[in-house]
Amino acid sequence: MSTRSRSRGFESALWAAIGLVLAGSVWLFASSLYQTDRDAVATLLARPWFWRSVWLSVLTATVTTSCALVLGIPTAYAISRFAFRGRAAVSVVLDAILVLPASTVGLSLMVAFQYPPLLALQDALGFRVVHSLAAVILAQLVLSLAFGIQAWRAAFDDVNPRCELVARSLGSSRTRTLLTVTLPMAKGGLVAGVVLAWTRAMAEFGAVLLVAGTFRMRDAGQFSQLARWLGITNADVLSVGMWMEIEGGRTGQGVAIAFALVLICAASVYLLHRLASGRRAPGRT
Amino acid sequence: MGSRRERGGRHLLRASLCGLLVVAACRQGPPALLFHAGAGQRSSLDEIAAVFTAQHPGARVDFSYKGSGYFIADIAASRMGDLYMPGEEYYLLQAASKGFIADYDPRTDIAAHFITVIVTPRGNPKNIVRIEDFARPGLRVGLADPEAAAIGLWQEKTFIRAGIWDQVKKNATMFAKCIPELGNAVQLGAVDATVVWATTAVLYLKDIEIIPIEPRLRGLIRLPVALLAFCKRPELARQLKALILSDQGRAIFHSHAYGIEVGPADADGFCADDGSATALDMKWLVEAARVAKDPTIPVTPETVGHLVGEVNRQRLTRW
Amino acid sequence: MVGSTSVLSLSQKSQIKQIAWHGLFGGIGALLLLAAVSLVVVNALFLGWSDFWHYLGRPRTWSSLWITIWTAALATAISLAIGIPAGYALSRRRVPLSGLAHTLIDLPVMVPPAAVGIFLLGVFKSFPAAELSTWLGLQVHHAVPGVVVAQVAVTLAFGIRLIKASFDAVSPRYEAVSRSLGASLPRTFFSVSLPLARNGILASVIVIWARAAAEWEALMLFVGGIQGRTDTLPFAVYLDWNGGILGWSLTNSLFCVVIALGSMYAVRRLGGRGHVY
Repeated sequence: MSTRSRSRGFESALWAAIGLVLAGSVWLFASSLYQTDRDAVATLLARPWFWRSVWLSVLTATVTTSCALVLGIPTAYAISRFAFRGRAAVSVVLDAILVLPASTVGLSLMVAFQYPPLLALQDALGFRVVHSLAAVILAQLVLSLAFGIQAWRAAFDDVNPRCELVARSLGSSRTRTLLTVTLPMAKGGLVAGVVLAWTRAMAEFGAVLLVAGTFRMRDAGQFSQLARWLGITNADVLSVGMWMEIEGGRTGQGVAIAFALVLICAASVYLLHRLASGRRAPGRT
Repeated sequence: MGSRRERGGRHLLRASLCGLLVVAACRQGPPALLFHAGAGQRSSLDEIAAVFTAQHPGARVDFSYKGSGYFIADIAASRMGDLYMPGEEYYLLQAASKGFIADYDPRTDIAAHFITVIVTPRGNPKNIVRIEDFARPGLRVGLADPEAAAIGLWQEKTFIRAGIWDQVKKNATMFAKCIPELGNAVQLGAVDATVVWATTAVLYLKDIEIIPIEPRLRGLIRLPVALLAFCKRPELARQLKALILSDQGRAIFHSHAYGIEVGPADADGFCADDGSATALDMKWLVEAARVAKDPTIPVTPETVGHLVGEVNRQRLTRW
Repeated sequence: MVGSTSVLSLSQKSQIKQIAWHGLFGGIGALLLLAAVSLVVVNALFLGWSDFWHYLGRPRTWSSLWITIWTAALATAISLAIGIPAGYALSRRRVPLSGLAHTLIDLPVMVPPAAVGIFLLGVFKSFPAAELSTWLGLQVHHAVPGVVVAQVAVTLAFGIRLIKASFDAVSPRYEAVSRSLGASLPRTFFSVSLPLARNGILASVIVIWARAAAEWEALMLFVGGIQGRTDTLPFAVYLDWNGGILGWSLTNSLFCVVIALGSMYAVRRLGGRGHVY
């Protein structure tokens, strides 16, 4: 009898913990609904600045993700497939980036690009990174790439190397094996990694704040011809814009931007779970 | 056996949790004054706080430093704080209109004055000598967001008075959220020139050049201090305010390159005389930037005037 | 004779191909590693030894380190107290509406931490939290308890995921055996599941701690920086940067790098994982 009641207590403790986490998460977002109101949302939606910022954020996050893909997929493949010295060190460095403060990332980039030899190089090329759109991409890339590589590596790890060996033994070249066996088999995981990398890029704030700052007072003429063509003018990266609105005392609009970011991230996290559950059975029982 | 072990484990967990919580509670410490101050005032206020806590054992001053414009939102949200010292009276009057200010007298409660100066990276590579040079095409100019930082208001005022605001805005490659960001950008060579307070410039003596502005465009900015309406320890807060406004406090501000006797200002806050009242301060500032870079020159009142402390501090470190 | 040469050249060719293949893929990775390492090296060179020693001698450097260590430890303890049962439940039980539930659990770590800071402001201005903190006499704005709250908010989901993964690695069969031999559920949990997942959970503890110790953005919006009080190392990096003390900022920043690398090295030694997503 006492065993059974203890078991019941244990079971309810488990569900209580889950309930607490779920309720906490809902409450975290729901309790802020009163911090904004219809007027603030309407004002925000009527501001062209907001829509330009959405465009800028989506654009930079997408460019960042593309860069992460180009750099990350080969790296993830190498870590997953090749046996080499220092593989553990690479993993430690990659993991460490995930627990690096954004302020450290931002400061490091800031200082590195103003380091005299690198500054001379930039001047020779006629281009400065700090406070430019490239700085936004770079600041977002650090975390986005680190998250992406981990996810893509897991996706490659899930592909049984034997399948590749069979293809190779049947005379398929390395490139062909990669394109027709490995990549298709890892597709689900790879796509999930892309979504993850994009979400992280979208969510980046601290590093962007330090390296790039606010662009709301800078019009297209102050950026490159490309920026003008893309319609980037007087806009902020959404997370930075959110901070500026809050600090500037327009709390309602700042919170509204925060909710916009939550919606974007929630959609991609949901997509992530759908992709993941398509790949594996959702949790064992 | 197993159940004893499991209980042991749980007790251990609980005990360690309680222990940590006790540590946390103990570290709350004595109640402190919460002082909202502009990010540019940090060096001098830290020194004044040290004097104050030495005079009042048991008291503590917690500073919250940010861009001056950002405090209104902070104070409105948290409804906390004892003293407020933004970098411009403008922000203080804004706070007063919202009912956040308990007592402020614009005639007496001015601790010191900021003085605007031009700063450039070390060696002045773009050869900036006066405000009009900021209009030069292709120059990388650092500006601040007037909504965020007091210096932003003054840059706009200065360049409008010089008649070059539109060109300068085109040259801007950054809009800072607080004034030290501009100092950092010049120090690291990210911008070619900017206008900051003398007290900000003095933080970077080794890495920048300081160029005084001609009197007509030289801003003399009143630095106000006020008690907030939410003040929890008004007695102690008044004592700190009194120290800031005392001769001792003003001497500390002066040693950090604030203006103490700045002469008359016109309605816009610019220098109204021929600049003679601030000429000596400007001279020592330029000298300090020279002496800080050359370790062979001794640091004495004869070489750097009232800025001995600042130059000595910066000789200790590279950055 | 002829045949053997052609075989040799064939194997040589394949060797060259293999090297090229490895070079192509490993090269980009090596380049990235080089970039990461040189980033840290450039920062260290920029700072220089003498400045590093100078700022090490300042008491505030150490007080920041100490604040970071203990607030993150407290946040980890709270995250574990909720995360172990929640992680176990997620690993062993079917949660209804799992897609929605998982999204809700993960969301706080996937949105910008700055947004979490804004939402925490809302939480502590409304019904249960506001009254509770007044009743307990815990001040969250401009005070240390707020630091811990913010750290818990951004690490809890991380912790749950990691702990779930640790329990996932334990075969449910051991539990079934223990149960069939008459052990109660809680007893099975404490004497079978928990000990078997021990290494994974220890590794998770380190990751949670390191993540909590790295939090800055939520703190900036929710708590506000008071030097010597609420400035954990990452916050001190920002405060000193905005105070015009580049050397101090860099010193603290390098501390953060060392903490991150050290804790991830420890995680690897424990055989755990440092990432979940």
